[in-house]
Amino acid sequence: MIFFIEVVLSGLMAGVMYSLVALGFVLIFKASGVFNFAQGVMALFAALTLVGFMDNFGMPIWLAIAGTIAVMVALAWAIERLMLRHLVNQEPIILFMATIGLAYVLEGLGDILWGSDVKLLDIGIPQGASDWMLDSFDIYVEKLEVFAAVTAAIMVTVLAVFFQKTNVGRALRAVADDHQAALSVGISLRTIWVVVWSVSGIVALVAGIMWGSKSGVQFSLSLIALKALPVLILGGFTSIPGAIIGGMIIGVGEKVAEVYLGPMVGGAIENWFAYMLALAFLLFRPQGLFGEIIIERV
Amino acid sequence: MIYRETGQFKDNYIDDQALFPIAQDRYVIYAVLFATFVVVPMIANEYWINAILLPFLIYSLAALGLNILTGYCGQVSLGTGGFMAVGAFSIYKMMVAFPEIGFIPLVIISGLITAAVGTLFGLPSLRIKGFYLAVATLAAQFFLVWLFNKVGWFVNYNATGMITSPPMTLFGVLITGPSAPPVAKYLLCATIVAICALAAKNLARGRLGRNWMAIRDMDIAAELIGVRPLVAKLSAFAVSSFYIGMAGALYFAVWLGSAEPTEAFDINQSFLVLFMIIIGGLGSVLGSFLGAAFLVMFPILLKNIMVDGFGTNTALAAHIEIMTIGALIIAFLIVEPHGLARLWRIAKEKLRLWPFPY
Amino acid sequence: MTIDSLSSEVLLRVDNISLAFGSVQALDGVSFDIRKGEIRAIIGPNGAGKSSMLNVINGFYHPQQGTITYKGETRKQMRPYQAASQGIARTFQNIALFKSMSTLDNIMTGRNLKMKTNLFWQALHIGPARQEELENREAAERIIDFLDIQAIRKKQVGKLPYGLQKRVELGRALAAEPDLLLLDEPMAGMNSEEKEDMSRFIIDVNMEFGTTIALIEHDMRVVMDLSDRVVVLDYGRQLADGLPHEIQSDKKVIEAYLGVSHD
Repeated sequence: MIFFIEVVLSGLMAGVMYSLVALGFVLIFKASGVFNFAQGVMALFAALTLVGFMDNFGMPIWLAIAGTIAVMVALAWAIERLMLRHLVNQEPIILFMATIGLAYVLEGLGDILWGSDVKLLDIGIPQGASDWMLDSFDIYVEKLEVFAAVTAAIMVTVLAVFFQKTNVGRALRAVADDHQAALSVGISLRTIWVVVWSVSGIVALVAGIMWGSKSGVQFSLSLIALKALPVLILGGFTSIPGAIIGGMIIGVGEKVAEVYLGPMVGGAIENWFAYMLALAFLLFRPQGLFGEIIIERV
Repeated sequence: MIYRETGQFKDNYIDDQALFPIAQDRYVIYAVLFATFVVVPMIANEYWINAILLPFLIYSLAALGLNILTGYCGQVSLGTGGFMAVGAFSIYKMMVAFPEIGFIPLVIISGLITAAVGTLFGLPSLRIKGFYLAVATLAAQFFLVWLFNKVGWFVNYNATGMITSPPMTLFGVLITGPSAPPVAKYLLCATIVAICALAAKNLARGRLGRNWMAIRDMDIAAELIGVRPLVAKLSAFAVSSFYIGMAGALYFAVWLGSAEPTEAFDINQSFLVLFMIIIGGLGSVLGSFLGAAFLVMFPILLKNIMVDGFGTNTALAAHIEIMTIGALIIAFLIVEPHGLARLWRIAKEKLRLWPFPY
Repeated sequence: MTIDSLSSEVLLRVDNISLAFGSVQALDGVSFDIRKGEIRAIIGPNGAGKSSMLNVINGFYHPQQGTITYKGETRKQMRPYQAASQGIARTFQNIALFKSMSTLDNIMTGRNLKMKTNLFWQALHIGPARQEELENREAAERIIDFLDIQAIRKKQVGKLPYGLQKRVELGRALAAEPDLLLLDEPMAGMNSEEKEDMSRFIIDVNMEFGTTIALIEHDMRVVMDLSDRVVVLDYGRQLADGLPHEIQSDKKVIEAYLGVSHD
């Protein structure tokens, strides 16, 4: 029984990690209607830059983080200027393809700038098992994962408030709905996009830090992006709480399946379980758990 | 003055509906076919065939397949790598178990097996659209690769997890394995691809192609005028997977010789073929070839320039290559989202008027 | 068509149709019939549920209540394929053409249900597939002739002006040789010349081919000129049903359109 709880908890924690990446997706999709395939690579790139600043330039942690944030904002500006601006009102599939191209660019760039070997990332997040949990309940819980969960919760709250209550948030929602309509009421698409992609970049940085602290900064980080897709399917592409809940469902589902079903079929179910789960969901609810039901009109 | 249509009147529907109604186009096609089947075998060397022409032909076939599904019918699929794997493993198992069946029938059967698998994984498309479908096809991609990796039966319990193509002959000539003459491999692939391209063009201009495009453009209206989405979408998945399966079979048996599922058929393969049809042109047979040519030749060109020309080390060259491909994708999508095929069509339009500006 | 020459055979009847989307009641207990060979107008202010009614007949929307009786068969709901294969064709309020295809191809898609050859023959494009393609091409050309759109047959419809697109859409519907033709605001956005052309086509279709027509239209003159009988909807409910001149002088109808004056 304890083992089962540990598996579930571990799954929940993994799920929070997925949610962090999914959050970045949702932000960009909500505000620019673009499905940013490069989100995972952005997390990798952000983490690489952070480590690079700390190791190669010897910066203290806080300076390195500030520097990386600056880099992500600059990146957002560049993406808007060189890519998004020229693709206004193209079909979603075209934008999606462009972000795949972007992913490739960032991947290559990251490798060239910082090297492709695995790096250690330590910015002082508590590591190791929580002694308190171990002593009180005899359950193994990683302190790092708790830290990640708390951070995610704070970010989600801040973002939710931002979208619902502020002017900028409203403008972002308008842009997500219809680029041209938003333009016609005077919303500056460019500024909005730079804002959104910067925020998303910061979210990516947080995700990169969490993942990187846990398993080192390496290429496989960018593959997390692919895992975030089932999360988005479950949670809906435009719902922030959905990203969190979707992440947790996927995280738990995966872990439980791997531990209990895995041995029966040779293991590594984690490679595809999330997708099958998402697929099953889609068949019953094509818009995800929290997505909006689209009523088609003719 | 060269590319003039005046004087070329059609007085019956048969001529009007011909594949290449403009005479000049016909001559170009005859020239291309002549070059493909007569000239190239005479002058091409082994390197060119193995490094450029074979992958070009095989990827063209895969691109044709994906274009049918995504370009003509509008169903986004990221499962191309997985389906190529189905084709490869099908032909592998059959070559080992039933070598008496000739090579070409085996290729066709692998295509049919892949068509069945593709249709199965295409069932969700009846409920799911757009991005969501893309993610569903990812399920196919990851599951299939996992399957071929984990289940020993597929690799005949080979400990390395790799499959190797046994030597097979066609009309007395070896066509698989390292000692097979490259020209033979080339002619085999060229023939298969040419026939498939013709079939694709025929399908595209007939009832099925129109139904596919109707579903792509406005599936609700299509349903209301009597196009059955079930039949249209599943037929697109079936035909597409047939082509992609054959491409996978040729990719493994004729070109690579041996393959390991997680490397040869992973998600990057799916992206590569998708890039080919985007750059080449969605919904265009010519586009499939152009895109395949571009994405096969370009990395080789780049590598030659960088490594041989500037002496960059290969790791760095690989990174630059990835960056450049990504940048090119973005650039293409900005400049001409309809791909090289559209650029070609525009060039032809200009040619019709040349030397007049308008 | 005079009233005497109208057959009294009912082609389509809807009984007590109610349709709701969540809390929005689009249709509420609507009943009327359409007789074979007539031109039936469905009119009403915006949002009255006219398009929804056509969508129900087509099988795109499924009513929560009520039945549809077509060619003698009564059902709780239609399925799109059923409707199409039993001879119901339509045009749409916001043009639903296949924008990337040419005029000819769009009209050929309308012939889809008349074509049967399987995939294998089509891939070879010889024999039965070719023959079928030619026959249906001839049929499509007859429609192109009828609608006078020869000049644009190879043009991509997405690039055509609005009025021509509407005509092509009519062509696509006619290609199916329907028994019942549903036209959703065929004159919308047209100038008077285009309206005259379209009216002429509609009358020709009705008289030459005997096609029964259900017509949603806002232009009252067109409605009065073309239709044999009129049904009026407002807020999803049926206000009136009868001959054009009866409707014109019906108090409830006038109120619905012009509002009530408060003295």
